Amino acid sequence: MGRPGAVIEIDRNTPPVLFHYGEGVRLERLPLGSRVVYAPDPIEPVAHPERAIRRALAHPVEDDPLKALLRPDMRLTIAFDDLSLPLPPMAQPDVRQLVLEEVIEMAAEAGVEDVHLVAANSLHRRMTEDEIRHIVGDRIFSTFYPDHLYNHDAEDPEGNVLIGTTSRGEEVTLSKRAAESDLLVYVNLTFVPMDGGHKSLATGLGSYRSVRAHHTVDTLLHSRSYFHPPDSALHHSCIRQGQLIEDTVRCFHIETSVNNHSFPAIANFMQKRETDWTPADQAAFLAVKQLTDLAPADVKRAVFHSMRAPYGLTAVHAGQVDAVHDRILETVNRQMLVEVEGQTDIVTIGIPYLGPYNVNAIMNPVLVVCMGLGYLFNTYRGRPVVREGGVVILSHPCRNEFDSVQHPSYVDFYDEVLSDTLNPAEIETRYEKCFAEDPWYRQLYRRSHAYHGVHPFYAWYWAAHAMQHVGDVIVVGGERETVHHLGFKCATTLEDALEMAEQTVGRYPSVTHLRLPPLFVADVK
Amino acid sequence: MSLLRDVRAVRAGWRWGGVRPATWAAAAPGLPEPSTNLDWARQEPIRSLRWALQRGLAVPFARAVTGLHVEGADWLRDQERPVLLVSNHVSHADTVVLLAALPDRARERTVVGAAADYFYGRPWLGRVVSLWLNTFPFARHGGAQAVLHSSSQLLKSGWNLLIYPEGTRSLDGRMGEFLPGVGHLANETRSPVVPMHVRGTHRVMPKGRRFFMPAPVDVRIGRPLERRQGEGSRAFTRRVEDAVRDLGRGSDEPRVVGDWIERWRASAHPRRASAR
Repeated sequence: MGRPGAVIEIDRNTPPVLFHYGEGVRLERLPLGSRVVYAPDPIEPVAHPERAIRRALAHPVEDDPLKALLRPDMRLTIAFDDLSLPLPPMAQPDVRQLVLEEVIEMAAEAGVEDVHLVAANSLHRRMTEDEIRHIVGDRIFSTFYPDHLYNHDAEDPEGNVLIGTTSRGEEVTLSKRAAESDLLVYVNLTFVPMDGGHKSLATGLGSYRSVRAHHTVDTLLHSRSYFHPPDSALHHSCIRQGQLIEDTVRCFHIETSVNNHSFPAIANFMQKRETDWTPADQAAFLAVKQLTDLAPADVKRAVFHSMRAPYGLTAVHAGQVDAVHDRILETVNRQMLVEVEGQTDIVTIGIPYLGPYNVNAIMNPVLVVCMGLGYLFNTYRGRPVVREGGVVILSHPCRNEFDSVQHPSYVDFYDEVLSDTLNPAEIETRYEKCFAEDPWYRQLYRRSHAYHGVHPFYAWYWAAHAMQHVGDVIVVGGERETVHHLGFKCATTLEDALEMAEQTVGRYPSVTHLRLPPLFVADVK
Repeated sequence: MSLLRDVRAVRAGWRWGGVRPATWAAAAPGLPEPSTNLDWARQEPIRSLRWALQRGLAVPFARAVTGLHVEGADWLRDQERPVLLVSNHVSHADTVVLLAALPDRARERTVVGAAADYFYGRPWLGRVVSLWLNTFPFARHGGAQAVLHSSSQLLKSGWNLLIYPEGTRSLDGRMGEFLPGVGHLANETRSPVVPMHVRGTHRVMPKGRRFFMPAPVDVRIGRPLERRQGEGSRAFTRRVEDAVRDLGRGSDEPRVVGDWIERWRASAHPRRASAR
């Protein structure tokens, strides 16, 4: 049994605390009395994943066993989550592969001839062959790719259908293949409470028309936070859309969760609390620190992005979407929740090298904002860890670098849109449509491996709640010009940043460091 | 200066012999028990050092230089028993590429048979390759019994063994005849033999050249083969050789034709298929 999450107070004997710094790490000393929030230890994984999966398929929640739903002459579509989770990617075998193999085995036994596997990548980039192969495994890949195993194309005019409008007027589109199937099986990996449930299907196989219904500044401002679905307008909207999909297509939902064992043995020091570091961990930190200080950016990126996490499967359930999702959330919350007493004036966060939208790519400045203020700021339920008008201090090199293949629209968003205004609502009104319908971005999304033209907007909106809530954002170690372009302040050291923050929150502020990843959700009382 | 600063920072958390929370989850099971072969290259801390070198340097480098494309790694995924990995041999780059193609867990417990007369003639070279690639001296000429004995000891103590049964690198990329030691080893240890075929490394580093040139490389890993009842060592060696040749031939055509159900069933893992 691992330890639960913890909030520790810095005293004279507390070792310096690890800060992620993009493709690097730092040890920083926080002021005495500051708090550090740590994730719980990884919870025990299930002993026999294949057996657990078979049991879940045979005894689903509020639904018939999968075997009973399969027949030879049917159209079966199996959708699965894309590479945006878990982060870092899971060491093989990915749990999606294990689930897919069981589902396909059942389909083969039932003699189902018409089977398609679709990666539910929504407006994310198309995955490469190797990335798909990593998720589904060799056997499935060699059996189905490319004709019957492919990425969802949200911009294919022939491949998507409008299936209706919700009671709130949200349009719902769905992959045509899925909409016309006799059975739609969704294989989900719920990494954080934000994932899974109706959100997966409604967005994953949707198009811009349906995603734009909830990826708006207004919805995201009323999602407090995304990591607590009952308080998230985004999730309420997805549920409405998902229920409409359930009324249209026969769905069978399979959801899995993994523990937070996020780093392989060589980077174990990132997983552990600093007080637990052994001499080997300290040596590993020193080695990684020196290497990342000296190595060229490309080399660092290649090494960091090749890391695979040894997550363990903690739960698997199948059946009706809501019933399954509720059960999975119980396990996910057991892994992620950490009780935090009260808010704080300043929150410090080290931004790691990886977010959901830069797998195998540079984390560009817009994604730094999305990661720091969009995702990590929102890892709370109840109230944000930082008080209203407080300061968020991020640590990241924040260089003006973009991956031209994956993020072409991000480059223009940064250069053209952010030069004009930083206000999410204004950006939404004036620029979103133009980027979303741009034929060149559309072409790159469909034929290359680019994120959809509208994606940088969503990344920016994602941070809207944090931008509205906090008084200041300071980036430690960032490239000055780039940080200023984003509308934030830049500091060379953490000490400087804390000094600067005092100008906003007053003398002797309370400081809380969110030591993630491994990810957690702060349950702020 | 930066290093000094970092050492000072780490020093603040130094707790030699102090009480340390003992609740950290034990490392996930995966590594086999330490080898009974007492060669230093198979012991800690060399194993950890090699793990870091391979994961941090050799594997990313091999993938970057070759754009490595691997098919069939799944065959090794569920292998609990040590296996004999058998491949064609065209280049010194083969070993690095083949190791990069293996799943992490299999790579960590794989020993490579390296030509004793070539690599271990100079002690420093032998030490470097042993550290870097976890090799052990494999005599190509004479002393067959001793080599087979030490190899089988490695297999029996939990290590996979990667060997090149042709005995030398091919000059033109064509596969030579396999020496019968593979069959003997499999026979003695009852280990499954996993056929592997590497294509393209003769462009990366042909025989005679001492540096790498970028070129695409494909590695195909086949279904593990087990010796049949009554099958002799030589017959089994021929079957393994045919399997490696088939992997090489099949690169441009699908291995199995028919509908997906046929393809799926044909690719079933023997152990899992029999479990159903």
